[in-house]
Amino acid sequence: MTATHRSTTLDGLHRLRRTPQQRLRRGLAAGVLGLGLLGTAACNPAAQNPAPAPEEGGTDFASAPTGSLLISGYNPSDEVAQSRADHAEAQLADVEISLDTTSFDTQKFAAQAASGDVPDLIRADRNLVATLADQELVQPIDECFAAHQVAPREYFYPATVDDVTYDGAVYGVPEFFQPSALLVNTRVLEEAGVSLEEVSTSDPQAVVELGERLTELDGDNPTRLGFDADIPGSAAMWMTLRGGAVQAPDGRPTLDTPENVATLTWMKELMDAQGGYPSIKSFKDSQDVFGDANPYVADEVAVATWAQWYVNVLSDYADDIELAAVPITDASGQPFAWAGGSAFAIPTAAKNPAAACAWAIEATSTDAWMAAGEARAATVEEEGSINTGLFTGSPVADQAVREAFVTTSGNEQFDQVIDTYYQVLSNPRTRGASAVGEQIGNDLENAVVVTLSGETDPQTALTEAQASSTRAWEQSRAGS
Amino acid sequence: MSSAHTVGVTGSGATGPRAAAELTDTPAPRTPRGRRRKVREKYSWRESLAGYLFISPWLIGFLTFTVISMTWSLVLSFTDYNLATGSQTPAGLDNYRLVVEDPKVVTSLLNTFVFVVLSVPLELVLAMVLALLLNTVRRGSGLFRTLLYLPKMTPAVATAAVFLLLLNGNEGAINAVLEFFGIPGPQWLSDPSWVKPSIVVMGLWGVGGSMVLLLAALRNVPKELHEAAAVDGASTARRFFSITVPMISPTVFFVVVVNTIAALQVFDQAYLLFYRDGNSNAPDAALFYGVYLFQQAFQQFNFGLAAAMAWLLFVIILGITAVQMLVGNRTVHYEGGR
Repeated sequence: MTATHRSTTLDGLHRLRRTPQQRLRRGLAAGVLGLGLLGTAACNPAAQNPAPAPEEGGTDFASAPTGSLLISGYNPSDEVAQSRADHAEAQLADVEISLDTTSFDTQKFAAQAASGDVPDLIRADRNLVATLADQELVQPIDECFAAHQVAPREYFYPATVDDVTYDGAVYGVPEFFQPSALLVNTRVLEEAGVSLEEVSTSDPQAVVELGERLTELDGDNPTRLGFDADIPGSAAMWMTLRGGAVQAPDGRPTLDTPENVATLTWMKELMDAQGGYPSIKSFKDSQDVFGDANPYVADEVAVATWAQWYVNVLSDYADDIELAAVPITDASGQPFAWAGGSAFAIPTAAKNPAAACAWAIEATSTDAWMAAGEARAATVEEEGSINTGLFTGSPVADQAVREAFVTTSGNEQFDQVIDTYYQVLSNPRTRGASAVGEQIGNDLENAVVVTLSGETDPQTALTEAQASSTRAWEQSRAGS
Repeated sequence: MSSAHTVGVTGSGATGPRAAAELTDTPAPRTPRGRRRKVREKYSWRESLAGYLFISPWLIGFLTFTVISMTWSLVLSFTDYNLATGSQTPAGLDNYRLVVEDPKVVTSLLNTFVFVVLSVPLELVLAMVLALLLNTVRRGSGLFRTLLYLPKMTPAVATAAVFLLLLNGNEGAINAVLEFFGIPGPQWLSDPSWVKPSIVVMGLWGVGGSMVLLLAALRNVPKELHEAAAVDGASTARRFFSITVPMISPTVFFVVVVNTIAALQVFDQAYLLFYRDGNSNAPDAALFYGVYLFQQAFQQFNFGLAAAMAWLLFVIILGITAVQMLVGNRTVHYEGGR
């Protein structure tokens, strides 16, 4: 064993003396290899077949779609997604549709783009769309909207359109707008002698005091969180709410502004008042968010920031929880609906952009959402649960679905919660688009975490985050 | 394979009838000089062809997935690569300049070095202890060997899912055990001070790979040496350090070199524990070089920069391995000498 190791792994590295003939052979081999590499480079599918530039009039979006259509990232796993897919498929009778139901993955998409074999339509986070547009990986779809007589800023929430607008052109079809609000465990509030009126985000210091008052600790570890602000996930929302912004309207990062530093300092105070970030993270990681012992059933939380979809989860436990919703409000008391979400985008090298456009438009149409609302209502009736509504990317569809299918449930608490989420839609806000939106988000979250975990102070963390995002910005087409 | 056999085949470097003659002690047949050369070339060509055919699966894989890929990445590192068009714009040394100027590269490199310093010795010691224990087992050693090697076969994703539960600071099993002994457990996954130790702990789950190598080496240590030393009155510890360690030192050296290279390339453990959602809500202490390289390539699409980072890591690994080889050649004992 030892002798074999020596001869195969170690000594071989020392046996580099070559005869002239061997050197000649090696030289020839290197030459052949080099030619092979050049050949390989020449055969690079992406290099040989550059993606077609979206020339004006290059795609006739108005023509009846035909051919095959591959959609990536759309998973009809529930009745809402399935009914929308069915509706779109029915409108595109001459198109053979296939779905790649795995979530959008940038690594996979990069490999597809490099090989020149991309899906016709992708469903990705809206924060990614401008980055993909900056890389020329997705194409503008203003003509697609025009061909289907859709005015995006009228049909969709303007904030969601802003998310997918790059250099003046729209690159995505917004899908959902799931606003956030505070979900309050009123049972815990009553135990602590706190009224619902005291739950407000308008005064940052009051939030810290409320969190500390409602938190229960076992040693250093929380057993109940007083105020879960969804940090770092919602850090950008809190910064915007406090008058800051993580990026400028043109997409340039603005992470280290005094407002943002003040908000990050507040986040640190809020976390420290409830046991500190490391303990809180471990506590939240151990929670049964979707199960029978979810934080509201188990009284593990008093007040928490949740997007609307979580109300649907909690509706299965309506008899076990006492719930109320409070809008997130700014310093003036104005409700504030913050949301991210997904969008459909058409890759630049898509083989069937016309069908992709038609499918995306149909799947986000009011008719599709009405079909989804009907399917959801049928499921709710069958299961005897509560219809918490659908929160789409379109105020038109939201209103239509609500009027047709979201009726009074008979559960006053849930009716109040559902109504609150619809109310906050009056002031929809998003981060907006940036060629480095993903990088800004990552740098922000990293800055928040290193601050909360005590690795550095808010000013330093945000300065470093700003430097990192600025480096990325300067390397982007938009920033160079 | 015995040492004599190994030397007999690889030491002479001869092939064909001459090699056969060496192995069989039969004199090579006498032939005129020109004919002998032709025969030798004929056999040499055939044997070479056979040899190349035998290794061709590996050779094709090596050329396709290593040589061509590495050369392509070297080209990329000097360009700005446009993913949409597959085109490259010459960028000179810009990507390397950006790598050097990026403070996160420094942070990730330091994190990676600390991880290497923690994980390589710890894995070696644990693997050695397990191998020594298994070497003393006579009955059921195959079962224990299999059981200890099984974790190495577990997919990294499954391992990470288990360790996310085990390492939870509030509810995790590891802290529960520590608490049983009156030791307050740390916040493994969220306290920056404990982030790297948590990844090291997870890495030890796969210690079976090193253990099997060391066990094989231990089994090859001649018993006669231990018996002779025992007759001379050498203690167990003395026999271990004076006989066992020198005899298995080539394997120990191999394990150290391979594990160092693997640790410098650490990615999956860190990514799965801290970046699995594709975001960056992890402490800086969890930012390893491989993770940052991945982020640059597949989140920012900076393939030129990522390629430059890959080549910097290659040079670092090459340098560290060269130093290890220099030190190893002076300290490792080779049976029969070099």
